[in-house]
Amino acid sequence: MRHEIKKVSKIVDELMTLLLREDTDEVDFKVKKEQDHYKIVVTDYNTKFTQAEAKEFEEYFNVQRQHEYEEYFWQLVGESDCDVELTMIGAMVDEAIVELRGNDLYMEIIRKI
Amino acid sequence: MILKNRIEEREVHKKLVLKILMIVPVIFLIFAILQRDGEVVNGLTAILKSPTILVTDFMELGGLSSAFLNAAIMGLLNIFLLKKFDMRINGLLIAALMTVIGFSFFGKNLVNIIPLYFGGYLYAKNQGIHPRDVIAVIMFSTGLSPIISELMFAGIMSPNVSIIVGIMTGTLIGFVIAPLSAHMLKFHEGYNLYNIGFTAGIIGTVFTSIMRTLSKEIQPVSILYTSSDVNIKMLLALIFTIFIVIGFKINKNAFKDYKQLFNYNGRSVTDFTFLVGYGVTFVNMGVMGLLSVGLVSALNGIINGPVMAAIFTIVGFAAFGKHPKNSIPVMAGVLAGALLLGFDTSSTGIVISILFSTTIAPIAGTHGPVWGFVAGLLHLSLVTNIGVIHGGINLYNNGFSGGLVAGVLIPIIDAFKRGE
Repeated sequence: MRHEIKKVSKIVDELMTLLLREDTDEVDFKVKKEQDHYKIVVTDYNTKFTQAEAKEFEEYFNVQRQHEYEEYFWQLVGESDCDVELTMIGAMVDEAIVELRGNDLYMEIIRKI
Repeated sequence: MILKNRIEEREVHKKLVLKILMIVPVIFLIFAILQRDGEVVNGLTAILKSPTILVTDFMELGGLSSAFLNAAIMGLLNIFLLKKFDMRINGLLIAALMTVIGFSFFGKNLVNIIPLYFGGYLYAKNQGIHPRDVIAVIMFSTGLSPIISELMFAGIMSPNVSIIVGIMTGTLIGFVIAPLSAHMLKFHEGYNLYNIGFTAGIIGTVFTSIMRTLSKEIQPVSILYTSSDVNIKMLLALIFTIFIVIGFKINKNAFKDYKQLFNYNGRSVTDFTFLVGYGVTFVNMGVMGLLSVGLVSALNGIINGPVMAAIFTIVGFAAFGKHPKNSIPVMAGVLAGALLLGFDTSSTGIVISILFSTTIAPIAGTHGPVWGFVAGLLHLSLVTNIGVIHGGINLYNNGFSGGLVAGVLIPIIDAFKRGE
């Protein structure tokens, strides 16, 4: 079994843990399943992250998809509340836009099925 | 929270990384040829037909030339697979490759790994994914290769039946190891770097229990190389120095940037090739290799098959979580425990326990050197007692122990922490 839905849930779990712990007290998530991909849209309100940090997130998430990491480590994503698995999110997604929009941090993440 | 470090280095193509990694099997091949002990064919046959149960040191069983040739063949075969799959050579793949090469002195050979690879291939086909997606897990899963050799060559059944049962069992393990290993991660939360060692320990325990139920006891062996190791030490020093030089060639500021490595706790997934670049990663691999050889020498230990496996596993995981800052406290804990209990610290058993204990280096990296030291003490207790549970068919005995230590210790550390 490929556990596609659970993997998307784990990505959301990891991001929610990270943003609530490191940055904000209000965050929105929207997940949409399209024909050949999942789209995860995140709005982190009143962010303290800078433009440079937003770019670093984007760099993390736009590294080449690494299926060997996904097969081995996907169950670790979202498990810890004192550490982050950004490398894993990068390995599990295909494209991402991360930018500051006003006072908010906006993320749009694509995971191809 | 630490994001990626801004480190500038020369662009490194995946083909170049493979060429650099190929240095190890090529040097081993040259070393094997230079031995000229005339035992290559007989030695290699003995290695391929051995049950390979712990502890079977190929350097003693087949001679130096055969053992180094076996390691070279295994290294080149796996590099060929990585090249064929056209993969980005990340920290995990470097760790997997070096682990396979190291354990090719001590349990792994062409005969007993192929069924596992075939099982992994069948799993990928069944799931509709590319075989490259599971190649790292399959490379690590070869820690269970003694199950195959034991079934094939220990005389448990008639020869023809043994071969078929061995191949089928290996294929079955290769088929199930990917989902099993992913599931086992949750027990230790990624604090045990040799996760497949923990998984293999569980599988080995089930397998050995079944064998014992059928009144087939797996007999441990003790075949160890105890002769001169001066040439091997020089060879290792050469390889690790080359890694450091290459690291500096890739990143001329690697020495200055090296300190940034210590900011990472090493918990899975910590891929140094991505976080600090290939230059610093190769320097770390060289430094960890030289430190390991230096430690073995300081303890008056002998570099034999199991120690080669330990050293190359450390070097591989120096691309995927290990560095001196998170490794030394754990190793100090094992060493202190061994000294307190009066163990012979020059014995191969204790030497490899110290080296392999770095599987739980992320505990020291995350929770500090004191907890790392405690983890080392606990690791010594477990690793010297759990071999009997799986009957010696799991080559990654320390990974099994490390998983148990991390799984028990992390919730205990949590109990002492306060906060949201």
